[in-house]
Amino acid sequence: MKKTLLTVAAVMSAAMFSANAHAVDSTGCGLGSLAWRGQKGPIPQILAVTTNGTFGNQTFGISSGTSGCDPQGRISGGTGSMALVFLENNMEQFAMDASAGHGETIDTLAGILNVDSKRLGEVSKQNFATLFPSENVDAVDVTVNLLALI
Amino acid sequence: MPIIIFLISFLLSFSVAAKNLSVDPQWLALLHYQQQFIGADESTIDSDNFFLSPDGKYDAEAELQATVNLFEKTNDTEKKCLFPARYKWLKKQGLLHKPFPKCPEWESFYDDIRPAGATLLFTNAYMNNPASLFGHTLLRIDTARKGTQLLAHGANYGALTGEENGILFAIYGLTGGYYGGFTVKRYYDVINLYNNIENRDIWELNLNLTPEELDMLMAHLWEVGQTQSRYYFFTENCSYMLLELLDAVKPDLKLAQQFPVHAIPLDTLKAVYQREGLVKHINYRPSRQNKIIYRYRQMNNQQKQVYKNIIKNQPIDYQNLSETEKAGVLETAYQYVQYQYVAGNLELPDYRKQSFKLLKERSILSGKDNLQELKEGKNPLQAHESAQIGIGFGHRNGTAFQQVNARPAYTSLLDNSYGLLSGAEINFLNTSFRHYDNDNKYVLENINIIGIQSLSPVDFMFQPISYNINLDLGRQFNPETQKEGYGITVHGGAGGSIALTDNIKMFSFVNNYLSYGGFLPHNSWAGLAPQIGIYADYDKWRLLASVEKIFATSRFADKIKYKAGFSYDLSKNTAIQLNYKFNENHGHDEEETMLNFQLFY
Repeated sequence: MKKTLLTVAAVMSAAMFSANAHAVDSTGCGLGSLAWRGQKGPIPQILAVTTNGTFGNQTFGISSGTSGCDPQGRISGGTGSMALVFLENNMEQFAMDASAGHGETIDTLAGILNVDSKRLGEVSKQNFATLFPSENVDAVDVTVNLLALI
Repeated sequence: MPIIIFLISFLLSFSVAAKNLSVDPQWLALLHYQQQFIGADESTIDSDNFFLSPDGKYDAEAELQATVNLFEKTNDTEKKCLFPARYKWLKKQGLLHKPFPKCPEWESFYDDIRPAGATLLFTNAYMNNPASLFGHTLLRIDTARKGTQLLAHGANYGALTGEENGILFAIYGLTGGYYGGFTVKRYYDVINLYNNIENRDIWELNLNLTPEELDMLMAHLWEVGQTQSRYYFFTENCSYMLLELLDAVKPDLKLAQQFPVHAIPLDTLKAVYQREGLVKHINYRPSRQNKIIYRYRQMNNQQKQVYKNIIKNQPIDYQNLSETEKAGVLETAYQYVQYQYVAGNLELPDYRKQSFKLLKERSILSGKDNLQELKEGKNPLQAHESAQIGIGFGHRNGTAFQQVNARPAYTSLLDNSYGLLSGAEINFLNTSFRHYDNDNKYVLENINIIGIQSLSPVDFMFQPISYNINLDLGRQFNPETQKEGYGITVHGGAGGSIALTDNIKMFSFVNNYLSYGGFLPHNSWAGLAPQIGIYADYDKWRLLASVEKIFATSRFADKIKYKAGFSYDLSKNTAIQLNYKFNENHGHDEEETMLNFQLFY
């Protein structure tokens, strides 16, 4: 019975779902680079529903510590690297929190950098133009600028 | 001689102890043993490397002996490092005496996560896709790191997919064509995916685990993290595997055995919530879209006007707004730009330019903005139960009938939408039987194998497509031959809807029909059908009415369908429904009225 149901459902789904599953491209390490990590558009999203899938091979474990955005190694040290990895993945939200002077990403960075979060919020807001000098700034620049500020 | 007797008695007592322990619920849960429909219990896990005995998938005692053997009699560090949870448990039972070896990978996994607690996460449905209405669950290992839980890790069970084309992708997901496995990613990645990219709310159920249980959870996560199991969308899915994981830590919970046939994520969430003392507190994390809507609704008229101009990318004119009001507008507009970019409506350079402009403006305004953040949502734990049965009484063209219907999942537009997505319907195997009085006939009336509808209203910010898709196996009447028979029909279409108020929507679709049945003229017919309708969704009642004109290749299928349904809740899980149908068909009109009592369970 179970198998029959599944087969019926599968045939049904075949009619509904049709498109290529994944399209991954990289848009670098600046604002908006996050979007490629998700599946864009309704069709990949619908497809994703039946599997809650993970594309490719399973790698169980933590991929922390190394950044793909800093090939020249401009940022060294554990704390700095952690801040970079965090910013790389949360640039959009941090940019907003920095301009407002408070928010979850400020609290998180304050924890990583071991500084007071209220103070970090104020400093980030006052120096927003230094942190984000242009719209094409990337995560490494922002991290360098941030580390220089505190 | 006494030594030999001692040895024999020692070995005997050991094997007796092992025999008893091998049926201990926690040992069985650590091996993921489950009752099967037929035959002996076996493990859900399909990887050979999860079993030390060749019979380990079916023989818990052999596996226990083999595990004791591994730790007490061998120096196979690599293997030992795969089983920290089994070691912990067997040691506690007094079966192991040697120390657990040094395992750098396992230790760094533990240290990186730095566990402080565990939280079950439920991601709700999203607007454009009612197929996601079933939701998804994953487990967060809360972190003791300084900062926030953004740095915690989410453990996700899902199918491990390849480069298949779309159809295979879905078929494999449904039929066990993929293996499933656990993956771990940062909580901020989870938030970005669900809240920000897919626009789904996240519900966080903080679990009550002792430090010892938390350690066990980590250790067992490591064990299953190295393994794979066949993935089935309906049964051995993301949510089901998390239940097995929790059972291994607290075997008294007996969560997995509650879901032998299908594990709907929200149902599993309810099961966890119902275990006394297991959930400490619940936290709500709204989707980006819900945040934007909530913020927009709080704006005063002038703010709204400025906001509309900004998101149309016109030059900013603040009129008389105060600093905090400006800040509210800018922060909301920024989030909307993010939404637009992710939705694919903005190219990267424009997105960056607009984002940067808004934030620069925001950064020179001091203080907080004047808008509150969304903190409370409609709790999905309070949603109606997902299975439903109903009894109905009605008339069709003067003939009385009685109907029984049953539906394993999930919700229809006429059902209470609290905690679910209003305007979204997903029915699975909704089956009805009827007895007609005039010829005393019992018939299978209809199986709605799958039925999906999405009424997502369009406004100046969001422009989703509304759509419906159905697969039915049901009785059709051919007036020309006076014959009734079974036909299989696929129908569906796309359109749009608008919200007249928060509770009332109007919609229109252009639908397509394809029907096949042996008794039909030429065995089949096709049709094109414009449809308009209205939908009202209130706390206690719903109304759905529509008119549809079918232009069909077969004269008997050519008709105008008038439909109206009204449902009133007697309690959270009971409702009465009144349905009216009138089909105008070249002098062979069909009229049907039915009163239905429904129970959700």
